[in-house]
Amino acid sequence: MAKPGSAALAGDRLLAYTTLAPSAFLLLLLSGVPTITVFVTATQSVSTGDSSGPFVGLDNFLWAIREPMFLTALWNTFVWVFGSVVIEMLLGLGLALLLNQSFKLRGAARAVILAPYLIPTVVAVLTWRYMLHDIVGILNVILLDLHIISHPLLWLNSPSLAMFTVIMVGVWKFFPFAVIAILGILQSIPQEQYEAARIDGASSFQQFWRITMPYILPVFLLTMLLRTIWTFHKFDIIYLMTGGGPLDATTTLPVLVYLKAFDDFEFGRAAAVALLTFAILAVLLAIYFVLIRKAEARQ
Amino acid sequence: MAHVEVRQVSKIFADHTAVSNVSLTTADGEFVVLLGPSGCGKTTLLRMIAGLELPTYGDVFIGDRRVTRLQPKDRNVAMVFQNYALYPHLSVYENIAFPLRVRGANNKLTDEKVKWAAELVGLTRLLKRKPRQMSGGERQRTALARSLVRDPQVFLLDEPLSNLDAKLRHSAREELRQFQDRVGVTSLYVTHDQVEAMGLGDRIVVMEAGSVRQIGTPEEIYLDPADTFVATFIGSPPMNLVAMGDITLGFRPEDLLPKAHFADTAAITQVTLNINRVEYLGGDRLLYGRVLGNFPDTAVVARLPSTVQYAPQLGVDLAFAVANPALRRFDTATGKALPRTVEAIGRKAAHG
Repeated sequence: MAKPGSAALAGDRLLAYTTLAPSAFLLLLLSGVPTITVFVTATQSVSTGDSSGPFVGLDNFLWAIREPMFLTALWNTFVWVFGSVVIEMLLGLGLALLLNQSFKLRGAARAVILAPYLIPTVVAVLTWRYMLHDIVGILNVILLDLHIISHPLLWLNSPSLAMFTVIMVGVWKFFPFAVIAILGILQSIPQEQYEAARIDGASSFQQFWRITMPYILPVFLLTMLLRTIWTFHKFDIIYLMTGGGPLDATTTLPVLVYLKAFDDFEFGRAAAVALLTFAILAVLLAIYFVLIRKAEARQ
Repeated sequence: MAHVEVRQVSKIFADHTAVSNVSLTTADGEFVVLLGPSGCGKTTLLRMIAGLELPTYGDVFIGDRRVTRLQPKDRNVAMVFQNYALYPHLSVYENIAFPLRVRGANNKLTDEKVKWAAELVGLTRLLKRKPRQMSGGERQRTALARSLVRDPQVFLLDEPLSNLDAKLRHSAREELRQFQDRVGVTSLYVTHDQVEAMGLGDRIVVMEAGSVRQIGTPEEIYLDPADTFVATFIGSPPMNLVAMGDITLGFRPEDLLPKAHFADTAAITQVTLNINRVEYLGGDRLLYGRVLGNFPDTAVVARLPSTVQYAPQLGVDLAFAVANPALRRFDTATGKALPRTVEAIGRKAAHG
């Protein structure tokens, strides 16, 4: 029993599917196929430039969790993500609070702060590598002249310093994102809330903890979530700065995937590491989402 | 409790003068309304009393203490904002408790005070709610309760009823006045709504363009406006003004009545009225027309109570009159009110 208008409805459906089909096809081709391929490759032993090899089940995964290199990369990833995100968020919060005050040239200051975010990564990294060079780099020259250090520091060539250096460059490149996000929410806080609090007797510190922080918390956490995802799978900065070295000191999971695949041509193992990376990230995201839900429920 | 005194206060912003040489003293426990059109400086004056703005000139006293340069928190004033400024992430309970929490009051005292204040404004059942889960009236009462818990010496209220719909505003006004009578704290209340001002104020301060035009009880302001601005700002419809050379005559619409309505012996001033429109408002009829005859042709309004038996004819010259005691006189050039004496009117008439 056809309801009145169901023919027209079916026609609408057809039109919808027809117009959606090209996009769906592209999405499947560009995202679906590679994803499935990774799953398939991860169960195969591929150790040449070939695209497939014999089926080995979970061997690649078992290899990964026993491989010291993988555990090193996992640890490096946590250091890289934790260090970058914590510093970026604190710096972002501080600068956003500062830029939210009214002062001369505030507009100019806001524009300047954005600059690192807009510079292409390759340009930024090459410039930094030059500035960080142990002999001719400007940083060592200045620190030596000021007698802060007594001998040139190997910023990128010392295993104990390299991760710190890469984190600092990453922070420099990406903290503007946190500034902009936090500044946006700061500007939406009604001024009367602070005026009411001043009359009610709240100090500047109490105004910050009891009004500003609760107000910006959901945006703060969301920004932190995004920065965590993006930092977790960041590849270009690290690889261009150090290539994962020295002595694996800056080999994070995405760098390891690249090295396994394109240095060692072990595509099966690379795929397994990529999937493990994905799984770890998924767990982190789940935790974050719970936190954000809680923060938003408090609003 | 304390009185508030504002002494020759001015506030000059970069591009304009918001408040210009205002002086004002309230009695202990008095309810004073600052009334004026938007941009007249009434809110700026209130914010200077609160300590949110620093006066450019002049001083503010609360009690006998000069507070001009004190921080808001050191003035022991409470303020209710137009949009209530509740803290969105806190429950009603925590909103009311806020002034006590930031002062480090212990939990027992806080709990007692919050429950007392909530009881006073009828919020006891809603303490767990968040501001966004409440109606405008409930938010307004929350803001009121929050301002109460500290036992302030002065209440400052900045258009607290303007975000409520018309019906609610009327009942909230009544509640507010009863509440002030109960707690008896000196209150300064800013509004642009003359009905609110008349209904709430022990005294009204009428402001315009940064200056005080008149301070007085609602009766004084309505019956004896200090100038033509007050005469036309207060009253709806406003006082009729008829310019007669140097002098401007003023009379309220309800004082302009058919001549037949007056006793033969009454001292009246006759007016020829030509009506062009009648508005029926239930309790009253408004007659829109022009005065003619002895007077220069001027648009006026008469308000007839519906209980007065009268069938107005349109477009015809009719005999109306105003009782002489109801006539007010203003200087046409300055707009200032002139002394109210019947003899003065008589003399003027003789000259004319």
